[in-house]
Amino acid sequence: MDTSTVKIILQILHYIFFTYAFLAISSYIVLSIISGKETLNYFKKKSFVNYKDILSSTLSPSITIIAPAYNESLNIVENVRSLLSNHYVNYSVIIVNDGSKDDSLERLIKAYNLEKINYIVNEKIKTKPLRAGVFKSKNPAFERLMVVDKENGGKADALNMGLNISKSKYVACIDVDCLLVEDALLKMIKPFLDETETKVIAAGGVIRIANSCVIKDGKLLDINLPKNLLVQSQILEYLRAFLLGRMAWSKLNGLLVISGAFGILDKNIAIAVGGYDTNTVGEDMEIIVRMRRYMEERNEKYRVSYIPDPLCWTEAPDSYKIFISQRNRWTRGTIETLKKHRKVAFNPKYGTFGLISYPYWLIFERLGPIIEVVGLLYFTILIVLKEVKWEYALSFLVLSYIFSVLFSIVAIYSEELTFHQYKKKGAGVKLILLSALEPFILHPFVLYAAVRGNFDYFFKKKKSWGNMVRKGLTTN
Amino acid sequence: MMIDYQHLMTYFNESPIYIQVAWGTSLILAIAIVCLSVYLKVLRFHLRKKEIENKLLKSEYEALIIEYLYTEDELGDGHTFKESVIEQLQSAILIESKRKLIISILYNLTYEVSGELSDTIKTLYIKAGFVAHALKRLESKHWYIIAKGIGELSHFRIDNVYNNVSKFLDHPRLEVRKETELYLVELFKFKGLSFLNTLTDTLSEWMQLRLLETLQKFDDQQICDINPWLKSQNESVILFAIKLAQIYNQFEVQNTLTELLSHPKKQVRIAAIQALTHLYGIEAKEMLKANFNDLSLEEQICFFGMLEKLVMPSDEPFVEKYLFHKNFDIQLLALKILKSINIEKYMGLSKTTTNEKDSSMIELVNTI
Repeated sequence: MDTSTVKIILQILHYIFFTYAFLAISSYIVLSIISGKETLNYFKKKSFVNYKDILSSTLSPSITIIAPAYNESLNIVENVRSLLSNHYVNYSVIIVNDGSKDDSLERLIKAYNLEKINYIVNEKIKTKPLRAGVFKSKNPAFERLMVVDKENGGKADALNMGLNISKSKYVACIDVDCLLVEDALLKMIKPFLDETETKVIAAGGVIRIANSCVIKDGKLLDINLPKNLLVQSQILEYLRAFLLGRMAWSKLNGLLVISGAFGILDKNIAIAVGGYDTNTVGEDMEIIVRMRRYMEERNEKYRVSYIPDPLCWTEAPDSYKIFISQRNRWTRGTIETLKKHRKVAFNPKYGTFGLISYPYWLIFERLGPIIEVVGLLYFTILIVLKEVKWEYALSFLVLSYIFSVLFSIVAIYSEELTFHQYKKKGAGVKLILLSALEPFILHPFVLYAAVRGNFDYFFKKKKSWGNMVRKGLTTN
Repeated sequence: MMIDYQHLMTYFNESPIYIQVAWGTSLILAIAIVCLSVYLKVLRFHLRKKEIENKLLKSEYEALIIEYLYTEDELGDGHTFKESVIEQLQSAILIESKRKLIISILYNLTYEVSGELSDTIKTLYIKAGFVAHALKRLESKHWYIIAKGIGELSHFRIDNVYNNVSKFLDHPRLEVRKETELYLVELFKFKGLSFLNTLTDTLSEWMQLRLLETLQKFDDQQICDINPWLKSQNESVILFAIKLAQIYNQFEVQNTLTELLSHPKKQVRIAAIQALTHLYGIEAKEMLKANFNDLSLEEQICFFGMLEKLVMPSDEPFVEKYLFHKNFDIQLLALKILKSINIEKYMGLSKTTTNEKDSSMIELVNTI
């Protein structure tokens, strides 16, 4: 190859990277504009809705909360108490003890006065069998509660057991350690009941980080910004993702994922598609994609809805090791889901789903980290070959950094104008400073975890969830 | 400094266009960051200050209003405590933020009190002059402000503004139309449902729920004739009317409900079976039994639910055919029904079956 050919190749590569970055940034801008408009619209609609009129209605549809638990004995009693304190009238709670090796079941039996009942599971979805069986409380105060003890089969299998047992039309699948705000179920069920022309098959809400918050008797009493920089960065990351991204995808009816921490599904459709996939670590994304395919293939009008209210608070990893393990799993989940449903990609038969959502996830979520790493390697090679045009490199590096800081600040601004959750003095300044630091203290680890996720998926075929060590949410 | 600046400008002017654009954009974005950061600081300060003020004002007005509610009507021509509260509120509501705050206090109180106290809140709302402000909202060009205004008038049951509100029944925004419909029901109870006669919009489940909850608040539960709605062309109106039939025990519409068993929409047929179960529709039961094989699976399950409640010994041969049905729900219900009408035959089932699943089902039903 002569020098001119090399130069042409380098030029082409430059344009590819430039176009990719340009498209990614443009998509962020477009999505945040749509999100802003949609959030405004949501607030307009919400301004005259009086939830209290419906809150105590016995005519409201029934919802079953399904919460899988594995070795959660440390906090399980308090967590269940929190789940039982929701203000919605017509709901029940199924705790699926997924073959825990600790004394979770014994603690629950003691705390809630449980007794074993005769029960045959209508196995609409195949699951691992029951172990100790099904338990209900002798105390009428806990009549909503059912505890199912089964052999270990993973989170998806436990959720499927809950789907088999639930008698409600809607199921709220949540992580047992999540804290739901008192009107969470009512707010989340509204999109299902509001739609008349299309069927809402699933709905999700904003997940917030509860580390350092004060919680008592399952209620969030005080919201604090954690001291740990990693957790603070994740707060910023969640604000960006939920306030500037998902609302737009909801408007475009392009949501591919409802967080596994808290989401409501139409039970019949979830069962019709075969429930959660037990062979993936990204079961929350996979079931939504499968439910969407199911509806598209039947030419039925549907929506995956999303509301911006902070309804669910969860514990975020506070060490890099756990954080990387979590993000590694998310990456593998995305790869598995997109691979399994590759038929959807760029397929006009699937409408917005096939032509916009799926390609976006594929190009910017799935391939994003790989392209970034390739870009970094390429840049290193150019440095070694002394081919870097520093004037260009520096100006674009500064531009991309400033854009990322601005984008985070816009997310903080949206938060302040909407929910204003971090009210304490000094929290605003901390979040702004964090916007400047986050590209250095969080992004490199997100990238590393994504690369590790790819490596594990292709070479180790790692199927496990990885450890998510929980410390439990602060109690007062 | 000047030299540095000139040097920078020269560098910028001599740079290629891409670099100029990148630095130029960076500068604009950096200015935006600074402006937004300063504004965020101001915004947060303002929000915090407002919140503290609101907290103070809330406790102040809440105490005042509660005292008003629990104060006996004073006799005499002098300036009474109640009059002074009304005057205070009248001047307070001239400021929008205070008006919003007082309205929210009144809203919350309506959920905590009932009877006479509820009427006193309404009187206070009227006397303090909130109606005029709500009516002003109806003149807004923004649909959500109109909807909010109607919702407020509806919540406090302000009936003398009917003409101002009813015109919104034809508003282009669905949300406004729905709030108007709720206002009518709040005002005229069951008669307010007359909009259902001509309704072309689909009545969402959320709206149905709100209507039903509004209706249940009234002491007078005398329902009007729901037959026309059961025969409506609007499927959502039929479903709503079926709910009314069930909640208000409308035995007289059994025939119309039975006719709905052949409605083209499955959802309507299922709702009709459920309502007929509640209303002891024996004739419908026989009809469904005769056409059982033509029903969809969901209808069949629903019918077995009906049979469980309305079963008679004569149903035994029918039930026997489904004791080992492949559908879990049908089998479970069939076994439970047989157990309730012929325990001896039921007890003999375990001897005749060899299938493990069937045996466990029989054993389970036995323990229920």
